[in-house]
Amino acid sequence: MTLDSETIPPPGEIAIPLVPRPRWVEGDLPSFAQITADVARPLDVWPQKGWWVCTAIALAALAAGAGMVVYLFAHGIGVWGLNNEVGWAFDITNFVFWIGIGHAGTLISAILLLFRQRWRTSINRSAEAMTIFAVLCASLFPLIHMGRPWVFFFIMPYPNQRGPLWVNFRSPLVWDVVAINTYLTISLVFWYLGMIPDLATLRDRARVRWRRTLFALLSLGWNGSQRTWRRYEKVSTILAGLAAPLVISVHTIVSMDFATSLLPGWHATIFPPYFVAGAIYSGFGMVLTLLILTRKTMGLDRYITGAHLDAMAKVILLTGSIIGYAYLTEFFSAWYKGDLFERFTMISRATGPYAWCFWIMVLCNVVTPQLLWQKRVRTSVKALFIVSILVNIGMWFERFVIIVTSLHRTFLPSAWGMFTPTIVDIGILIGSFGLFFTCFLVFIRILPMVAIWEVKELVGEQTPRTFGFAGAAGDLENEMEGAHA
Amino acid sequence: MDDHRSGDEVRLHWKSPEDLRNGSNRGVEPAFNDGDWLGGSTRRDFLTLAGFSLTAALAACRAPIEKAIPLLVGSDDITPGVASWYATTCGACPAGCGLLVKTRDGRPIKIEGNSSSALSGGGTCATGQAAVLSLYDDARLRSPMVHGKASSWSKADAVISNTLRGAFASRQNVVLLSRNIGSPSTNAVIEEWSQLNPHFRHVIYEPVSLSALREAQSECFGRAAVPHYRFDKARVIVSIDADFLGTWLSPVEFTRQYVRGRAAETRRSQHVQYESRFSVTGSNADLRVPIPPSSHGAVALGLLRRVAKAQGLDGCPEAPEPASALATLDAVAGLLLKHHGQSLIVSGSQDVAVQTVVATLNQFLGNIGTTVDLAQPSLQRRENDSAMAALLDDLDRGEIDVLLLHGVNPAYDHPDARRFLAGLKKVRFSVSTSDRMDETSRFADAVCPDHHFLESWGDAEPVQSSFSLAQPAIAPLFNTRSAVESLLSWSGRPLDHYAYLRDYWRRALFPLQKETADFDAFWDNTLREGVFVVSPTSDPVPIAFRGDWKRAAEAVAGLARASVASPHGNTYEVDLYESVALRDGRHANNPWLQELPDPISKMTWGNVAAVSPATAAALALADGDIVVLRSGGTATELPVLVQPGQDAQTISVAVGYGRIAAGKAGNDVGVNVFPLATMNNGSHRLWMPNVSIERTGRRAELATTQRHFSMEGRDIVQELSVADLSRSEPAPLAEHHLPSLWEPRPEGDHSWGMVIDLDSCTGCSACVIACQSENNVPVVGKQEVQRTREMHWIRIDRYYSGAPENPESVHQPMMCQHCGNAPCETVCPVLATTHSSDGLNQQIYNRCVGTRYCANNCPYKVRRFNWFQYAQNPSFDFHMDSALGRMVLNPDVTVRSRGVMEKCSLCVQRIQAGKVQALQEKRVVADGDIKTACQQACPAEAIVFGDLKDPHSRVSELRRDHRYYNVLDELGTRPNVGYLKKIRNRIETQELK
Repeated sequence: MTLDSETIPPPGEIAIPLVPRPRWVEGDLPSFAQITADVARPLDVWPQKGWWVCTAIALAALAAGAGMVVYLFAHGIGVWGLNNEVGWAFDITNFVFWIGIGHAGTLISAILLLFRQRWRTSINRSAEAMTIFAVLCASLFPLIHMGRPWVFFFIMPYPNQRGPLWVNFRSPLVWDVVAINTYLTISLVFWYLGMIPDLATLRDRARVRWRRTLFALLSLGWNGSQRTWRRYEKVSTILAGLAAPLVISVHTIVSMDFATSLLPGWHATIFPPYFVAGAIYSGFGMVLTLLILTRKTMGLDRYITGAHLDAMAKVILLTGSIIGYAYLTEFFSAWYKGDLFERFTMISRATGPYAWCFWIMVLCNVVTPQLLWQKRVRTSVKALFIVSILVNIGMWFERFVIIVTSLHRTFLPSAWGMFTPTIVDIGILIGSFGLFFTCFLVFIRILPMVAIWEVKELVGEQTPRTFGFAGAAGDLENEMEGAHA
Repeated sequence: MDDHRSGDEVRLHWKSPEDLRNGSNRGVEPAFNDGDWLGGSTRRDFLTLAGFSLTAALAACRAPIEKAIPLLVGSDDITPGVASWYATTCGACPAGCGLLVKTRDGRPIKIEGNSSSALSGGGTCATGQAAVLSLYDDARLRSPMVHGKASSWSKADAVISNTLRGAFASRQNVVLLSRNIGSPSTNAVIEEWSQLNPHFRHVIYEPVSLSALREAQSECFGRAAVPHYRFDKARVIVSIDADFLGTWLSPVEFTRQYVRGRAAETRRSQHVQYESRFSVTGSNADLRVPIPPSSHGAVALGLLRRVAKAQGLDGCPEAPEPASALATLDAVAGLLLKHHGQSLIVSGSQDVAVQTVVATLNQFLGNIGTTVDLAQPSLQRRENDSAMAALLDDLDRGEIDVLLLHGVNPAYDHPDARRFLAGLKKVRFSVSTSDRMDETSRFADAVCPDHHFLESWGDAEPVQSSFSLAQPAIAPLFNTRSAVESLLSWSGRPLDHYAYLRDYWRRALFPLQKETADFDAFWDNTLREGVFVVSPTSDPVPIAFRGDWKRAAEAVAGLARASVASPHGNTYEVDLYESVALRDGRHANNPWLQELPDPISKMTWGNVAAVSPATAAALALADGDIVVLRSGGTATELPVLVQPGQDAQTISVAVGYGRIAAGKAGNDVGVNVFPLATMNNGSHRLWMPNVSIERTGRRAELATTQRHFSMEGRDIVQELSVADLSRSEPAPLAEHHLPSLWEPRPEGDHSWGMVIDLDSCTGCSACVIACQSENNVPVVGKQEVQRTREMHWIRIDRYYSGAPENPESVHQPMMCQHCGNAPCETVCPVLATTHSSDGLNQQIYNRCVGTRYCANNCPYKVRRFNWFQYAQNPSFDFHMDSALGRMVLNPDVTVRSRGVMEKCSLCVQRIQAGKVQALQEKRVVADGDIKTACQQACPAEAIVFGDLKDPHSRVSELRRDHRYYNVLDELGTRPNVGYLKKIRNRIETQELK
């Protein structure tokens, strides 16, 4: 795949399309050196006060959560507000919530890559990082929610001397373990692979010996040759192809924890698509929150532009509408099916003791995204920030509503109960946010939070070019072929 | 002869935690058998017998050899881990039911009913089931106490004997104040004292008294005795506030009779209950009418007037009748008249006049001699309130020199406890036989702790001519001594209890029978059977009615008029009652009973002021609001519980709570409401009018195990009317086999299943404690119950239907349904809950990681999770944190650790034992060989367990019954546990009128 001059259109033609292409980098097109300098700056300078304050808060939350977990391990999960009727509440709510957050990364890196969405370039790195941290937070909960976490390995299918005694492959919890581990692995690989050219860049500009050595090791001897690039592109595409189904599968399987049970409110065939949409919705919500904060503070608003935010808002609008539709469908099926228990659960959801949670959920997940039809909202950073926060509040409540309202009033009214969270429940939820933000804050200081090479590629694409450059040649070629098709 | 028994100092095989220096040398005298006992005996007999010999070797090692006992099995063959059974008599309440006590390695671990007993049968009540835990109560005294200091028996005896000798010599007044003593041999000792010392007096006191009932019989029939009631013979039962299925007189026996009377589908008895609170008995009634306690007399009188009128007797006074009952009285009187000689009227009233009216009703309706047996009356209750009142006066005046207290705690449970305590201080010397430093015994000069009844010899005669023996199932744990031995010792006859008892039986009871000529054989046989019934030699002498019923009726009418005349204003009547669990409070330190949900309100760990929904609405009260009840000078603060079916004019509160010196589990739980009770016309009355109720504005969280009482239109408890019953055809159970993607499970030889008859179940809750005792179910405490984390494997769901003023109710025992398609099994990630080839859904504790997914997916919500470590955890110091309390644990059942799920196993350990037994005897398991703990305890015989693979087993037959159904059948869980529909037999009052 060479860049020969025949395939490069004359400079004049590039600016001609009737609808101007969105500009994914604002202002005057920066030079490649400028891009590297902009993105890598946080890595070189001592963090400012703002970062320290944020990190201190995140660490405090993490420490509180860790303390609660220690307390939990010492006494048993009775320190949570769970009871005979409600066997899962904050634990699994948080788990599904974080898994959902972790959905944006892969969607952006894999699916948008396959669909050739150029705007993913400046946000994919941090979205992927966020995915990994969110999945880490999520995987904490299945572990600590166990009554006997010290025998957690029973849940892994491994050869053992107990017969061997295998896990129950019929249990959706086993599927969960497999799905999450797969997802975490793929996400990590994808994230790391995407960073290799940047790590090489960092290696090249590192002035300190240990840094150079470290980045040299991490960049796996990247030399930027055309052959390397070509292989790199291929691997990226293959991995994207592998990862794309995971975006669907992980939350599908998580939803099966509920859908395959027989509990009214859980046992619904709509759950897989509805959960996937919800996951993307919440994942984009979180990406939006994080990027709105970091683009300003890290001085990257040039690379993470209003157009990016707008694109993400549109994804939120789409997935939010799917969720709203799914809520309606749930109620419709409950009514249409004629099952007394299911009808009762749905009515109780909207009118029972947890109705306030339900209506928060409706407000955040059904009403809020509809605001995004207006361009005014989509282009207002403040409005988007509020929306993004509401999205995640809504999605947390959605999981809480699904789990707790379905459990608290099941088939036998004699066994109806209530769940009230304890300080430990809340502490561990806060702790999971602490863990997430600590990881993210550290990440933005030690690794480039925007994919330098991809932005360069994008800039290169927007720059009237008369020469070839060493970056994503094949991609660029395809892109331009596509543009002319 | 067993070698172990030759030495005095051979230790027991169990570990006594604190007190291995136990000085008592009174061990167990084991029974033996020299006859061909196996012929025709059951497995239970075998176990019982085997038990005697075996436990003898274990528990009686230190006993001096009084008699050479040949062991059936040599000591070399004693197998640790094989249970032994003792027949004995329950001492938990005055009813005196026959028991079999299961001991393992010398420790009693489980109480069961003695099916040989003609009275109580194989059933027990919750309190009786829990009595085994009271044996291992940490609060029990370790040795006698003299003047508050631990002492020895010789010292205590010296002091007490001297005092008594001096007192008798100088003609001082000596009083023995005791609870009901059911033991004829003990009563004989007391009788001897009375004869020898004219200044000795025996006063029997019960805080919840049936004195008026007894007195009324004396007035009407010249016999001061509580009749022996026969609910099974009655076709119409009218109860005026007598909770005969829950707490009144002899609930186990009555439940058994009652259910038998209702089992006959064509001649089903009808039951009318007039009551103030919603009792277990009321919840089973065919017609239930809430009335205030002040109207008990008016209702009895209303019935009497109608019956007398119908029989042409004049002179019955009229009295205002309570509006709620008015509509029913004609109909009920009509029913009673229709079934002459086949009805039974009982009353829990503590008013002699009311009881006289009730006795008259029974007389007029021809029930004396049929359903009311006075020829062979009950001897369970002999308390005398007037004697107690007189004693209190004497105490006031300082006229009592020596007071012996046995089994009583008036400083706690007497309405005038302060006056009693003041009087007690004036006594020159007081001795208590209490097993702990309770509210009364802490003020006694000497405390000579009695044995727990499981450590003691004894006998009982609950109903005249029906005797039972009690024998120790364990050597005394502490340096305690049987109260009988104490009495004998203080009267200068230092005999041990065993020798005395045996001698008494030889003298007094052996001659009553003719079957056995040899006393030893008679003794051994009785000991093995536990019971001994003297057949009546001649026909009972007809008992003449000589009561002045008109005077009593006039008195009742006067009261009713006065009650109507006095303005109620904003005041209510307070009705005090015994709870099914704690009864009068003597079992307050038993954590099993504290945590037993009340059969109706489902309250645990405390008492409440039950108010009717109307009262709650009028006063804007909600569950948990703390109110203050003011009556005369007393003010009592209690949380409110809105109780459907509660009489609108009445506030009901359970007694037995608010102990201050019961022990760690019982102290400061609930509020003591005994001070609200009054003495009225010489009887100890547990209700009082003119009580005002005020909100305090504070709230308390109630520890209830069920918070929602409506079935929400779901088909959970199914009912049939009597008409449906005759109409409906026995339909084969529709076994719809839906297609499955999974291979069928391999099936074994058995498929264990259970059928529960909802028509028989009265809700008494004996099964709950039986299960707790059998399966080492932990006690979790009030706070955890408030968070709905109770651990009971079997719960009794209670649903109301109809108007909240007077709803109908149903009880549904609910435990693991052992589903054929178990939703819990498929979701467990680690295969910790699986299906056995015998149809059991089994839980594997050491595989469980505690995801709780199974519990979430269980439609019956019967799975219980160990949220904390409940055993050996000081935070849960109920009984599993003390070495003594842990002795009650069943060694056949794992004590679960923190973080694992548990649930009903259908007593898999019993199933295994039954299979092993059959295997050893080279036969197949026969139907009825294996009984689950709940089934065994059920006095109503509502639970049937067996093999569904055996088409002739009872459980299989019941599954083919047209009343059979599965709960939530539509889910396709295919449970092995099913139910028989409840039969509704409403008494249509309007129609009959």
